[in-house]
Amino acid sequence: MLLGPKLDADIYSSIRDLARKFANEVIRPRAEELDRDELFPIEIFTQMAELGLFGVTVPDELGGSGLDCLAYAIVMEELSRGYASVADQCGLVELIGTLLTKHGTPDQQQAYLPEILGFKKKVAYGITEAEGGSDVAGIRSTAARTESGWLLNGSKLWINNAPVADIGFVLARTDPDQGHRGMSIFIVDLHAKGVSRSPKEHKMGQRSSQVGALFFDDVVIPENALLGELDRGFYIMMGVLEKGRLGIGSLSVGIAQAGLEAALEYAKVRKQFGKPLAENQGLQWMLADMAKEITAARALVQQAALKLDHGAPATAASSMAKCFASDTAVAQTANAVQIFGGSGYIRGFEVERLYRDAKITQIYEGTNQIQRTIIARDLLKNGIR
Amino acid sequence: MKILVPVKRVADAAQPLRIAADGRSIDGDSVVPIINPFDAIALEEAVRLREKGADVSEIVVVSIGPATAEKELRGALAVGADRALLLETKKAVDPWNVSAVLQAIIASESPDLVIMGKQAVDDDSNQVGQFLAARLNWPQATFASNVEVAEGSLSVRRETDRGIESTRLPLPAIVTCDLRLNEPRYAPLPAILKAKRKPLEVRPLAECGVTIEPRVEVVALEPVDTSRSCVMVESIDELVKQLKQTA
Repeated sequence: MLLGPKLDADIYSSIRDLARKFANEVIRPRAEELDRDELFPIEIFTQMAELGLFGVTVPDELGGSGLDCLAYAIVMEELSRGYASVADQCGLVELIGTLLTKHGTPDQQQAYLPEILGFKKKVAYGITEAEGGSDVAGIRSTAARTESGWLLNGSKLWINNAPVADIGFVLARTDPDQGHRGMSIFIVDLHAKGVSRSPKEHKMGQRSSQVGALFFDDVVIPENALLGELDRGFYIMMGVLEKGRLGIGSLSVGIAQAGLEAALEYAKVRKQFGKPLAENQGLQWMLADMAKEITAARALVQQAALKLDHGAPATAASSMAKCFASDTAVAQTANAVQIFGGSGYIRGFEVERLYRDAKITQIYEGTNQIQRTIIARDLLKNGIR
Repeated sequence: MKILVPVKRVADAAQPLRIAADGRSIDGDSVVPIINPFDAIALEEAVRLREKGADVSEIVVVSIGPATAEKELRGALAVGADRALLLETKKAVDPWNVSAVLQAIIASESPDLVIMGKQAVDDDSNQVGQFLAARLNWPQATFASNVEVAEGSLSVRRETDRGIESTRLPLPAIVTCDLRLNEPRYAPLPAILKAKRKPLEVRPLAECGVTIEPRVEVVALEPVDTSRSCVMVESIDELVKQLKQTA
């Protein structure tokens, strides 16, 4: 069955115009500096909060923009076209906003959503550990029951925003004897006693994203800090991953699109052997293939968004979108570098950064190997649909 | 105070344009449409007057243009206008006739202030505000770089070649905006959704009671060659010769 957008077409086009204008005027001009100096652009994020770019799909009565996943995909692609790290912050807030919308108590929603969507408080999503990234069952952090709550112990690795975050959403074992059925999510005050952080990691790409480790040493967790049902944390977390994969798929398309635009412009201007590069058929075919692949990636991403918006099964679709779009981002930014020749390998040229920014999209939000496992599992269990 | 903001849908001048096969118009396929940037400044000023506490009862945006100009009007509603009116026509309307149509709209809308861009960036006429003031016999302040409302009058600072001129105008009045008046905001996502529910009326231009008698005919359009190439010269004489030939 063909699924259509739920809102009028002109709404999506107005949303795209806004996000594109903001990316062109505010984000893209600063991308080189943010990458070079690993800066956290709080002023850009504050402006994004004012424009409703945080919490795109969070209902408006909870302080979000009340839009759908297709709108979210469009926003993510356009922001990422400006700079992927900035889009990734939008994706992180979207996930936390979705968790609170779906599983938060009214008190938790009131206490946290306004500050998180308004970017007054910065969040971190703590799942990954040394022994468990893609294999969530390997998680060792524990929350032991006390009279008035829990005591949190353990550490989380490669956590986005860890060096700067105020509030952590942390997955920990609450029943050590159970596997997936013994984990819970806690809302943790990261300024509390017993919380410490590593210095930020220096990464290959998306260098403005502040990534590091969080350590919990007998951190006192009050009763009301449990998000959703006890021992259901793994399933709660899995329940938002489809939207997460959609977000990273969109972000990947944005990186690839920025690479294509740069390569197209350069191929028309750069002259070799007395004519522009673009007059060589070999390079024309490269550009054509780049456009073709990126358009296909965008179509997959938007199809996954429509499935989510219609409540149709979207597990395989969102994994296909994430996997295909991130592979496309890496392959097509590599082609963009190739078209730029030597210049494309030099710091300060946009395509050089795009190529580095693209690589992590094949790794985070579930590696592309895990995505293929998910697709195969769905295929074998449910058949082709 | 009721404010009327006339806005025009124009081609984005930052994008490449092609001349159509008739040699006297722009190929529509090459156009990336936007709201005229000077009109966006006028709208922003109207919204700011309200935000700064002026007693603004209603902000109405009006446009003369194709049905697709609804998009720019929705954009204006998202920025903060309350109501929109589109006078639909497929033809280009010259400044004299635009001012006649606006005069008819003003007769029924009775605004206290008409604020608009000093010119549209597509034909750069810079005439509609002045024509309209003459037709209505209203005071006008063109090229505004600052606008304040006080007790039924306006204080406007105007950018002129001699410097900034401070003027005071009784209402109703016409103000045309210059580039430095303000920086238009981005419309937030929730406002884009809400704009969809604000009233937008589309009427055929022919029904507004004004007979359009074109005063301007575009005879031909020619592209300006903006490509530049580097020429190495051996002597001053050759440089002077090159400058005489090409500059």
